[in-house]
Amino acid sequence: MNTRSLRFRMTTSYVGLLATALLLFGATVYYGLERHLIGQLKESLVEQARTIAEELLVDAHVKGDQYVITEINESYDPEVNGRFIRVTRQDGHVLYHSASPRDASFDVSQILPPTPEALEHGYPPGVIGGNRPILLQGLTYVTPNGERYLIETGSSNQPIARELRTLRLTLALGIPVFILVAVFGGLILVRNLLDPIRAITEQAERISSANINERLPVVHTGDEVERLSLSLNRMIERLDEAIQHISRFSADVSHELRTPLTILRGELEAMASQRPGDAESMDMVGNALEEIDRLSHIVDQLLVIARLDAGQAGIEHVPMDLGELAVSTAEQMHLMAEERRISIRFAASKGVHVNGDPLRMKQILVNLLDNAIKYSPEGSWVEVRVQAQQDTAVLTVSDNGIGIAPESLPHIFERFYRADRARTRTTGGIGLGLSIVKSIVGAHEGHISVQSREGEGTSVRMELPLRKQQVTQDSGKLDAADDRIVQDFSLANDQKIAS
Amino acid sequence: MRILLIEDEVKVASFVKRGLVAERYAVDVADDGRRGLDLAMSFQYDLVILDLMLPGLDGTGVLKRIRAKDTKVPVLILTARDAVQDKVTNFEAGADDYLTKPFAFAELAVRVKALLRRGPVNRASTVRLRDLELDRLSQQVKRAGRRIELTIKEYSLLEYLMSNTGRVLSRNMIIEHVWDESFDGLTNVVDVYIRHLRKKVDDAHECKLIHTVRGVGYSVRDESEA
Repeated sequence: MNTRSLRFRMTTSYVGLLATALLLFGATVYYGLERHLIGQLKESLVEQARTIAEELLVDAHVKGDQYVITEINESYDPEVNGRFIRVTRQDGHVLYHSASPRDASFDVSQILPPTPEALEHGYPPGVIGGNRPILLQGLTYVTPNGERYLIETGSSNQPIARELRTLRLTLALGIPVFILVAVFGGLILVRNLLDPIRAITEQAERISSANINERLPVVHTGDEVERLSLSLNRMIERLDEAIQHISRFSADVSHELRTPLTILRGELEAMASQRPGDAESMDMVGNALEEIDRLSHIVDQLLVIARLDAGQAGIEHVPMDLGELAVSTAEQMHLMAEERRISIRFAASKGVHVNGDPLRMKQILVNLLDNAIKYSPEGSWVEVRVQAQQDTAVLTVSDNGIGIAPESLPHIFERFYRADRARTRTTGGIGLGLSIVKSIVGAHEGHISVQSREGEGTSVRMELPLRKQQVTQDSGKLDAADDRIVQDFSLANDQKIAS
Repeated sequence: MRILLIEDEVKVASFVKRGLVAERYAVDVADDGRRGLDLAMSFQYDLVILDLMLPGLDGTGVLKRIRAKDTKVPVLILTARDAVQDKVTNFEAGADDYLTKPFAFAELAVRVKALLRRGPVNRASTVRLRDLELDRLSQQVKRAGRRIELTIKEYSLLEYLMSNTGRVLSRNMIIEHVWDESFDGLTNVVDVYIRHLRKKVDDAHECKLIHTVRGVGYSVRDESEA
């Protein structure tokens, strides 16, 4: 799970708050209940002592000690009720002393005879004894005839401890369960809340210049998410307009530039064919025609780039084998390499499949190979390598030619950029080939990069998403000798027509 | 053979008409869509050459109306618009061919000729020019009775040139015919192959058959006849 996600952060923060609140609540309930129960027990002990004093001891001098003993036994039956009662006169005579309770909830033997201090003033409730402890209190009472008694009442605090233990257990089990429920509930809740945002994100990822007429889903919840989707849609609308503007512009440009070119070309051709003049003027006409060709070509290429970049080029996406395409393209170009005694080497894995526009892909290869051949010294080599690396198809075209100067390297994909003007003129380029290559690669969601050292050579690397279902275990391994198509076109002669 | 040219650009119409007339076609010109449609409906033409951006009624509209009348006349679209979508739209509307401006007149001439002889084309299995002989069935080429070994591409190139003997073919036409669109702009491919072809076909002979027309392209013809 992504710890930076809203879902994670919202859930953890509110679960944290909830846990703190629950723990505070649990502690308050626990200690509050403990205080309350102990207080009640103490109160009842004091109350009991007071009742014994006020109802029995008040008449003790009249009715005699035995009466008191009998009454206490009858009224309170301490052995059965688990209470301790001891009545001591100030002179130390113990009037009543209950025995150990039948449930043995406390041990009578650990209760010492009262101290003179206690006989005089009584003592507040307190727990004594370690084993089976007892909560004990002493109350002094002076009868109307001046006799002073100490009435001690006690009870085990075990029932309270038991109840508190139960509460502790309930809290210890209940709070984590509660938090767990809160975590899952929270995750689901937040997910439901964020679902529209996810839908918007997914759709936004899908929208490119090719399907800009599509819009994001709008949830009519009236909340911030709806506003977000609406304002994103308005943004896409504006982009859409801009792109339509571009494509209208390119259609206008093509018309406005091509019509005069057509006329120029037509008239000059007519001049050349219908009224052939002297060699010199024919040469001039030829020159003009060549320049018109060049100009037409520039217009074409610029439009191609504009359309590719605006996603208006109608790129097809059909499955194809990059290695096979590279081999067949190089076959078609080998004569150009042969002219310069350059050999084209191949290291292509089988089954490196991509989704693409075959014609455009081929255009990339033609351009890259043409450059490599043009800028390599006679008698050298050009290497084409096709392989799969994880989910990427990689095509590299390398040469050991003149290379590209480091200061030119960042610019070579720019339109009309020329590393060496004089040289490019003689080789006939117009400085748009690599721009087109880049735009095509871009339209295929790929990536292209160049490495070069002046005087040592250049290597162009193109990466395209590999076609998923075609990835088999041994595809793309260059080291497996069987999978390798190795060809050297300088050695293999062009296919001869069957004789 | 009568051709209707619907083109609003006067200068384009003018040189296309001149060129076609020189090829011995009868040419009518209409400079807007409505007039063009009227003409196409009123007369029996063998071919309509149609611009797309026209005043009055646009080219696609004209084309649709011509086809609605169930006329079988071949229609060649001649336009500055080269987007794939434009081509698809017009082919769906019933266009037979599509040529993007600026074009070499030679290319228009070749296409016009191809459209006019539509139907069962009687292509001879052997093409001859002087002592050069090309057999389409066995794909063999002989000069002065001696076999010339050609590669597949060289053969296709020579076959294309010889099928259009006497015509000048532009490098772009050759690229599109012998290679494919991905070689667009790489016209030096053609030069390299022509050089090789010349070496094999012409070098050993006094009479050269493969000619370069500066600024236009290449042609195969027998200049000793002219």
